[in-house]
This record gives sequence, structure tokens and C-alpha cells, in this order.
Amino acid sequence: MSAPGQIEDPMTPGEDVANPPALSARGVGKTFPGSRALIGLDLDIAPGEIRALLGANGSGKSTFIKILSGFHRPDPGAEVEIGGAALEFGDPSACHVLGGRFVHQDLALINDSSILDNLSFGEGFPTRMGSILSRSARQAASESLDQVGLDLDPLTLVRDLAPAEKTGVAVARALRETRETPVRLLVLDEPTATLPAPEVRRLLDIVRRVAARGVGVLYVTHRLDEVFQVARTATVLRNGREVITAAVAGLTRGQLVHYLVGSELDEAHREAAALADEADAANTVLSIRDLRAGSLHGVSLEIAAGSVVGVSGVTGSGREFLLPAIFGAAKREGGEVSVDGSTLAPFRPSEAIRRGAIFLPADRKLLGGLMDMTARENLTLSSIAEFWKFPMIRRKTERTDVRQWFDRLQIQPPQGLEQTLLTFSGGNQQKVLFAKWLRLNPKLLLLDEPTQGVDVGAKAEIHHQILTAAAAGAAVLVCSSDIDELVALCSRIVVVRDGHIAADMTGADITVAKVSAETITSQAEHALT
Amino acid sequence: MRENMKRPLNLGMDRFSGLYLWALFIIVFSIWSPSLFSTTSTVHSIADGQAVPAIIAVALLLPLAANAYDLSVGATANLTAIVAVSLQTASHASMVVSIIIGILCGTAIGVINGFIVVKLRVNSFIATLGMGSVIAAGQTIVSGNNQPLPPISTTWSNLTSTTVLGFQIVFVYMLIIAVVVWWVMAHTPAGRYLYATGSNTEAARLSGVKVGKWVWLSLIGSGTLAGLGGVMYGSLLGPSLTFGQTLLLPAFAAAFLGSTQLIPGRFNVWGTVLAIFVLATGVQGFSDITSVQWLSDMFDGVALITAVAFAVWRQQSAPSRRQHPDSHNQNDPTPPRAVEEEYQSLPNVGDASGDG
Repeated sequence: MSAPGQIEDPMTPGEDVANPPALSARGVGKTFPGSRALIGLDLDIAPGEIRALLGANGSGKSTFIKILSGFHRPDPGAEVEIGGAALEFGDPSACHVLGGRFVHQDLALINDSSILDNLSFGEGFPTRMGSILSRSARQAASESLDQVGLDLDPLTLVRDLAPAEKTGVAVARALRETRETPVRLLVLDEPTATLPAPEVRRLLDIVRRVAARGVGVLYVTHRLDEVFQVARTATVLRNGREVITAAVAGLTRGQLVHYLVGSELDEAHREAAALADEADAANTVLSIRDLRAGSLHGVSLEIAAGSVVGVSGVTGSGREFLLPAIFGAAKREGGEVSVDGSTLAPFRPSEAIRRGAIFLPADRKLLGGLMDMTARENLTLSSIAEFWKFPMIRRKTERTDVRQWFDRLQIQPPQGLEQTLLTFSGGNQQKVLFAKWLRLNPKLLLLDEPTQGVDVGAKAEIHHQILTAAAAGAAVLVCSSDIDELVALCSRIVVVRDGHIAADMTGADITVAKVSAETITSQAEHALT
Repeated sequence: MRENMKRPLNLGMDRFSGLYLWALFIIVFSIWSPSLFSTTSTVHSIADGQAVPAIIAVALLLPLAANAYDLSVGATANLTAIVAVSLQTASHASMVVSIIIGILCGTAIGVINGFIVVKLRVNSFIATLGMGSVIAAGQTIVSGNNQPLPPISTTWSNLTSTTVLGFQIVFVYMLIIAVVVWWVMAHTPAGRYLYATGSNTEAARLSGVKVGKWVWLSLIGSGTLAGLGGVMYGSLLGPSLTFGQTLLLPAFAAAFLGSTQLIPGRFNVWGTVLAIFVLATGVQGFSDITSVQWLSDMFDGVALITAVAFAVWRQQSAPSRRQHPDSHNQNDPTPPRAVEEEYQSLPNVGDASGDG
């Protein structure tokens, strides 16, 4: 790594003994069965420093945060200090005691309660003889809000706040101090993922204000603009390793993209490329006109039989609404969807399935699988009528069929037909759900993060099945936050930004670098180029 | 049921604990009070006495499998008994017509329950709790709060009390109903859809299951069966104004206790029937020994709580994923989310009952 602008040790942490680094991590690694999520990470954050932490999904950044928060225990040999005091691993309260605070993407605020109540739930209300001292509680709340630069009435319901204000309240709550330790470190996990642009600016102000008080900030984000706006330094992770840590001032956007995605996967889509030649361009399977749903406003798209089309977009771009809205999993606010020429009624999954569309949701546990039912029952759920011959479901035929699918998709354990889905690994759960849909011989496959939380072997198998289905004439729409995956699979990639399709790329344009650049560019910036 | 025997898990005591407990009751009470307990008349009186409660409990299983509660079954049974009897005595309608109208009352209540739950999207617990009270009011309107006289014809009471091999025929009816419900739940696509709806409503909907339709049908099923049970009660023991509510809790106790038996973790017919008779045997045995009045209430209440506590414990000790430390609801019995990579925020999915 000899890029211009790289500074090996930007902060020279630890020079001031009275002012220890907010965070000092040495040799932090984490091995999961079958994969190394994080390898020997060293990371220092000085008091008042805002450090951006970047990396694609699976790069290890969430693992690192979960180690800090006590959810994961790192591999032996790791050392982490917060404000100069050693962190005990695997204890969710240890970090809090040392002055480390977390604001997660979902904020964990109670919408129907007031700001005051939300702020007080953690630390408790000031009381005298069991009664809440409402005036001093309110005053304390106002001070907390003031610290993050929010001028709000503490009695306002959280529900009525703007998105950035909500995040601000979550930050204010995180910063409330216990008597013993001051807050040293604030970890913000993709705080802007769901915020619209003007709101982002307000939030960044809050973050600057917090850092100005001497709190070290670890700022996890997917959005490169924010790195340049708010961070002093940036650390990039890829495949569990630190790629670079450098002062933001010495970096260009291009370099950052390069560090993020590398360039080693540009040739991986050979199988997919061969497929592209066979795509039957004349035969449109899916046609969407002016689709509006969630934060999508007006998406039009046509997909031909035999093609695999990728959808890329940062979280919050509207990407995550596209497939559910097409299928009828989420409500549509407008627009028209048709499969093979017949219009799909909104919010009717059973009808979409009848017309040959299937949908693999991103959230396997909540939307995908019936976790307490058996693999067999999951696999045949959508086609159980096939096995019904009065007076019984033909259990033997069903089991034989399920066993074939277990074979075909290499589902482990191979004898697990009658085990509950919960007992399977993530990758094998996904394969069971995939088999459920492949049984139906779908014309249109809508796949949302098909390999999320899936091990490497299962990932390859799922990719193979996707390409096989396309080769057999199905149209496939794959939504993924893993750009490497999209590039490897797709002959065409559409990029969703700010609620509509900002780029539609084919052929030589499909490289990780180009797709990434399109995906993470902000709209304003795009106008300049 | 056979495939469930092959499950590698749960071959131990827990699946059959009810059978062991039953055996224990029988042995202990036979030794304790041989002259009273270990007689064929005890067998017959337990079997006959528990037939209607068992029908009500089996009726409950249909909505419970789909994760819907029907708290109105007791009131429904009571109303249909009063209707079927009053039609004969006060309106001089024929017996067959009265029975059919009585049962249809149960069906109609199920239809209304289903409408409230699926279309108005009222939580089934609340909807059927309220409906139970509405039905009680309806019953007072019909009966004027006077217990109707039982029909004089012996055909009416023979309908359920004719004996077959020493058992009253109502016991046979119960077995037939249990077989039919077992068939529906274990051997038809309808059963698969009900369980899928109960397991994860949204996932089932996204798999093409018309969850609204199945919840609705399950409530119609429970209403109809409760109506049937009520009519039988009216024939067997005469039209009481208050028996309905006393059936509700034992039915729930049996259904939940049953869900820990034979096919643990799943509401199932034979587990429920087993639970009914284990509890009844216990109550019978103790009442042969003492004469206290509170035994049956105590048994049912303790059984309900124990059964649910046991089910929760089983779920937690199952080989599940690790609990996410910052999940907000530590008591949520649904399995925790995937440990790795939770960067995906959920799109706002619509209400589950939309696809009906």
C-alpha cells in the first residue's frame, strides 16, 4: 500500500499520559467455524478524533463492533483498552462501565414515549421517595439535548421527531454519564443509513459537537461523502483485514473506492457472461412501470427471459423496497408490475406465485423460513397441493421428493429432513428455502440478499443454482449489497439511488469499481461530473 | 404421525411424560383406594364425563395451530345447547332441525369471529374474549335467563347416552371428531397451512399461503365444533345456563398440555386428548380419597401454567442461536436473528392479514 496521502500513524496516540486514547485495540481477531471474520486488527482513536470505519458486507466491521460491545469474544491474544482501561471481553456491560457507548442503526427508541422518558429509561429517573422529580428530570434532559445541539422540548414524543433528531436523541441518551466514568468512546453504526440528505447534515453536526467534547468517535458508514465531511481519519477493512488507515485529508475518493473493493474479482463472471449471450431479449418476463413504494419514487424496468439482473444501492437508497414491492410482500403506492404480460395485483403474494414469480426475502428468520417447522415442511409449503391425493398427503412421495432436493442443493445434514429449520446453519436454511421455490419452476426469481449470512460453500451452490435457473429461461432479479457478488453473477446491473434507477449498466461497464462508484456516489456529486 | 416417531430429538421422557404420569396416577390410586378407583365404572365415568370437554379442547386446536385464540368456545357451546333445547321445548321444532340450527349458531359465531380477526384486524384474543361476552348476552336474550326445560322425549337424551360397550355414545362421537380434526391437521394441506400460519404468519404469506383465509376457516371450525359439543352437552346433561364458561379453562389447559406431548412444540389432537384424560384421572383419583371441592379447578389451573412454562423452557433450552444482546425484547420467544451481518434494515412489510 503505497498510495499517496497515506499516513502511517496519523495521531501518534498515547503521547499524553493524562489523556489516554479513547480506544486502543491490538491484535483483535475473530474466527467463526469455517471462516475468519477478522484478522489481527490494530486500531487507535484519540480523544476527540472521528474515525470512519469502512468496508463491504463481510469485511469484519460488524464483527469488530460486536467484539467491542461484548457480544462476540475475540480470538485469544486480543487486547482492547477504552480510555486507558482494559476491556473485559464477552461482557455486554463491560464497555459501558469504561465509558464506551453504542448507537445502533435501529436506535432502539420507544416511539410512543417522550424524549424525556427515552433518555431516562437507561439511567433511571431522579426520584425522591419513589416519586419522579419531574422538574430536575426535565432539566437534565434539556442539558443532554443541549450537548448534542438539539433545541427540543423534552416532553415531545419521539414519534414526532425528524429522523436526524431521533438519531440525535439516541446519541444524547448514549452520552448520558454515569457518576463513575465520563464517556470516552462513541460508536455510531451506520447512523445515516436511513436518513435523507438534509437530515444527514444535521446529524453530522451532532457528531462533530460530540467529538469536540473530547469523545473519540468510531463512525461506521457505507457513504463515502460522509467520510470526507466529518471524519479526520479512516480505516478500511476488506475480508477481515485492515487495508489502510489514513488521514482523510490525504485521500481521494478514487483511492478509497479502490481500497474498499480491490480489483481482484473483475473476471469472475465468466459463467454469467456465457449466459448473457443466451438471454432472450425479445421475451420480456418482468415489466415494471413507474413503481412507487417506500422510498422508491418511480422505477421502470424490463427484464428479459434468461437474464440475471443485479440491483445495487446503499441502504436507504430505496433498493430494499424494490423486490418486496414487485412481489407483493410490501405495499405499493403506485405503478404497475406485470409478469409474462399479466398484471400483478399489489400485496398478493399468492397471486404472484401463481403467475410464476417467487421471492426470497432478505430476512430469513423473520420473513423467509418457518423456523420451528421441519425442513421438509418448509420445502414443500408452496407446493403441498401436489402431494395431496384424497384422503392423505402422500408422505412417502413428499419425502422422496424432498430428499432429491437435499441432494441437488447439497443440503447439510443430508438426513435432516425432519429436523426443524432452526437447527440448520444459515447457508443450509437458505438452500432449503431456495429449493422450496425452485420446485415451482419459477419464471421470475426475485432474490433479496440471497447469500447474506451464508458460508462460502453454500454461497457458491446458491450462485450456481441462480445461473442454472436463468439458463433454463427464468428471469432473475438479484438485490445485493455485496457488489462483488453482483458483478460475478449479473449481465446487467441497475443502480438505485435516492429512490430511482440512477444507472443501468451492461457489458464492459460491469466492474466492481464502476458499480461501486455508481452505488456510493451521492446525487449532488453526480450532478457535478 | 409415524414420521414424528423418527425424529432424532425428543425420544426421551418429555414426549411421553403424560403417559407416564397417567400410569402413575392409575397405579397409585389403584393401591390407595382399590374399591373405589380401580373399577370399570370409574373408567366409564371418566370417559363419558370428559367427552364434551375433549371436544371443546379439540375445537380449540384449529385456531391455536394458526396462532389464533378462540376464547368464545365456552360461551358458544352454552348458547348452542340453549338454542337446541329451547327450539324443541318452546318452539316445538323437530329435533333434527333444532340440532342443525344449534350447530349453525356455532358456525355463525365462527364466521363473525373470523371477520373481526381477519378483516377488522382485531387481535384474536381480544376479539373472541369480547365475543364470548356478546354471546352470553345473546343467550340471556334467547332464554330470558330461565333455564329451559329439557325435552321430554327420550330420543333427545339417548342421542348421547346410549351405551356402547359400557361407554356412553358421546365418547364415541368425541373420538370421531378427534379423528377428523387429526386428519385435517396432520394429513391435509389445510393442516400444513394452519401450522405454517401459526409458525410465522408473514413468512407463510410470502410463501403463498392465504393466511387470512386459514385463520378465518380455523375460527369457523372451532365455532362449529364448539356448537356440536354444546348440543351434545344439552342432550347429555340438560340445558344449564352456566356450563360453558367452566369448559373454557380446562380446554386451554388440555390444548397447551397436549402441545408438550407426543409431538412437542406443536398443538396436536392426541396429545390434547391424552392431557384431558390424564387430568381427569388425577381429579377422579383424588376425589375418591378426599371430598374437597377445589380439586378440579386447582388441577386445571396448575396444568395450564405448568404446560406453558414447560413449553417456554423447552424453547429456550433448544439448540438455538445465541441471543442478541441488544435486541430490545429479551422475552421474545421467536428465534434471535442471524449473528453475522445485520446490515440489512427491514423494508416495511405490510400487515399479515392482507392476503385473504
